[in-house]
Amino acid sequence: MDIIGMDALKVLPFYCVIIPLIASFCMPVLARWKKEFCAPLTTAVTAAVFIITIIIGNHVIKGRAISYAVAGWRAPWGIEILVDPLSAVMIMLISGISLCIMVFSFTAIKYELERIVTGWFYTAFLLCFSGMIGLVISNDIFNMYVLIEIAGISACALVAAKGTRLSTEAALKYLLLATVGSGFILFGIGFIYMITGHLNITFIAMELALIKDQYPILIWTTLSFFVVGFGVKAALFPLHLWLPDAHSSAPSPSSAILSSLVVKVYIIAFVKILFIAFGLEIFHETYIRQLIIVLAVLAMLAGSFFAFVQIELKRRLAYSTVAQVGYVFLGIGLGTPWGLAAGMLHIVVHAFMKTCLFLCAGAIAYQTGRKKVNEFAGMGYLMPVTMGAFTVAAFSMVGIPLFGGFISKYGLALGSLEAEMPLLILVIVLSGLLNATYYFPIIGQAYFSQDESTGDNHGGDKKKFKRDDIPLSMLVPIVIVALGVIYLGIFPGTILKFINLTVSVLL
Amino acid sequence: MHDYATRVVFRYMLLFVLLYGVYVVMHGHISPGGGFSGGMIIGLGLLLYILIFGQLWNMSFRRMILDSAIIFVGIGGILEVLKFIIPHEHGPIGVPGTLFSVGIISVSNFGIGILVASTILGVYYMISEEE
Amino acid sequence: MDLELILLNFPYVVAIILFSMGTLIVLTQANLVKKVIGINIMETSIFLFFIAVGNMHGGVPPIYDPAYPEALYVNPLPSVMMLTGIVVSFSVTAFALALIVKLYIYYGTISAPNFMKLK
Repeated sequence: MDIIGMDALKVLPFYCVIIPLIASFCMPVLARWKKEFCAPLTTAVTAAVFIITIIIGNHVIKGRAISYAVAGWRAPWGIEILVDPLSAVMIMLISGISLCIMVFSFTAIKYELERIVTGWFYTAFLLCFSGMIGLVISNDIFNMYVLIEIAGISACALVAAKGTRLSTEAALKYLLLATVGSGFILFGIGFIYMITGHLNITFIAMELALIKDQYPILIWTTLSFFVVGFGVKAALFPLHLWLPDAHSSAPSPSSAILSSLVVKVYIIAFVKILFIAFGLEIFHETYIRQLIIVLAVLAMLAGSFFAFVQIELKRRLAYSTVAQVGYVFLGIGLGTPWGLAAGMLHIVVHAFMKTCLFLCAGAIAYQTGRKKVNEFAGMGYLMPVTMGAFTVAAFSMVGIPLFGGFISKYGLALGSLEAEMPLLILVIVLSGLLNATYYFPIIGQAYFSQDESTGDNHGGDKKKFKRDDIPLSMLVPIVIVALGVIYLGIFPGTILKFINLTVSVLL
Repeated sequence: MHDYATRVVFRYMLLFVLLYGVYVVMHGHISPGGGFSGGMIIGLGLLLYILIFGQLWNMSFRRMILDSAIIFVGIGGILEVLKFIIPHEHGPIGVPGTLFSVGIISVSNFGIGILVASTILGVYYMISEEE
Repeated sequence: MDLELILLNFPYVVAIILFSMGTLIVLTQANLVKKVIGINIMETSIFLFFIAVGNMHGGVPPIYDPAYPEALYVNPLPSVMMLTGIVVSFSVTAFALALIVKLYIYYGTISAPNFMKLK
């Protein structure tokens, strides 16, 4: 893969980080003056970034990565931005999903948040957005740490924005554990800097390949520090304790952002450090691979079990995220071309599915105020479009063919055959069945059972479809994201082409 | 804090603390020091003053500090960002040991100093006026 | 383990001990303010570690002096990185304290077991 530098094009990834950052600095001042302008401005910024990322993606898919030295300082000393195909697909995903969520938040924020914190919500969102994009495209590990902190602290602010008892408590828990996690990451970065003297990932890889035999214990320590740090951040199973509280008590646009994007960008950063900086040899020599696979299997099973016993819909969705993070880590742990590609594809698919589910949960709470999973009787007739999108996403979560989740799970199964661990297929199937046990009752209830609570005065038309009573700004993102899930299930080729371009370089 | 000793000692110390902060800010570019450390000293000095002598300033002045913190953070952030956008524009190198020999950097150091000091006070007010 | 080796790498040993202490305090203490103090201890140990990495025996502070053009300078990069780290630590502390004040208003206590339960 040759790295080219066309002058106009190579600055574009930098603008993806800078434009939301400047907008976020302007937002508190704007919020003092006119609160109504915050949401449209944020949406406009997100849309602009989305267009830029599509231009970048169009270029990168030809197989040429974009490299840019920030402020003209060259690679070993300055901060380098490197957009490889995997980063390109991730920034397109982040900006696209964020755009949908921002359109959704037009009315949802008015309903869920107090008016005073509106400006701060959008400030935190834009900071988180630019932090996520920067984290994906940065090639400098200390810069990565700074962006991790920006994304992490503003994600806590997104949780705390609601200001209720539960959300404040969850935000504090998230903040404390996330800070412990980033402390571990920073310590790992310190170890890497100590043994290599570089902060740029490309140069670390070159240096580590030379000296890795001299420091076997230190490399072990560094890797375990990174696994713990990114594990806390990405909610790998035994370290997931902050996730259910934070994701379920946040306002629903925040939950969608947190669950579909924030958790995933840390995984991308981990993949970059693990496969590019440390390289395949260290990955196979140390036992890091077995560790990740064991944790991933635990996450897939335990996350689903925990999700099964939850009553509240958003908590169930949050625990489902724990299980899905397990799938992604399983792909990383397999370390075969199909396995890693499927893991990365699952990030994309899960972002669409979980956004759809959380937005549907928000829409249902907006129209009917129901938040428990046993209150869904007759919902399929009350809100047909929303519930249809929910059904699509839930089917995809279970892994039924024609939906996105099937492709990534199929890929994971192929990957575990490639890695000669056929027993893992059993785990994947079992986890899929567990997914079915906690999603299908909701859907079945929504379509096939009577609504006793509201339906007695107009008894006859109980099974008649009504129109959703939610504003268009909530309906359109839900439909778009649901269509995205179906598109990924039928035509996964484009995304897989992006991912395979990177995976073929990594492995 | 109504301790007599702290009040007397700090009444004489405050000016020196602030002076030291300004000194550190002024030496920020070509000799050791900097806007961040100096601004931290100024901010903590003012914070200590508030803690010892109580809330002497009225509500509108406190609001003003909060607002100025927000606006300074915004302006400072945008300036920092612009520094990265324009490549190879690092200004004159300056003469070691002399103040104000590097043009725009000494000015921006003062900006950073005010930013940090107002941020510390802003954070304090934000926490203390939550109730 | 050689005693000499430990003495030579004294800052690293202290950093690791402080890091473990900080993590233990965050995870085990019930008082929320103590948890925040634990985070500060943890981050400070990382700062110590980084600055120890940048240190060089016999090095002088990296300030250019025309009189000694070829002096051995200490690596300033880790110290500069830790300036960023201090800012991050400061903002985390401020945010955590703001949240604790809010929780104190809600619950009337800052002891975690009274309200932070596994659900």
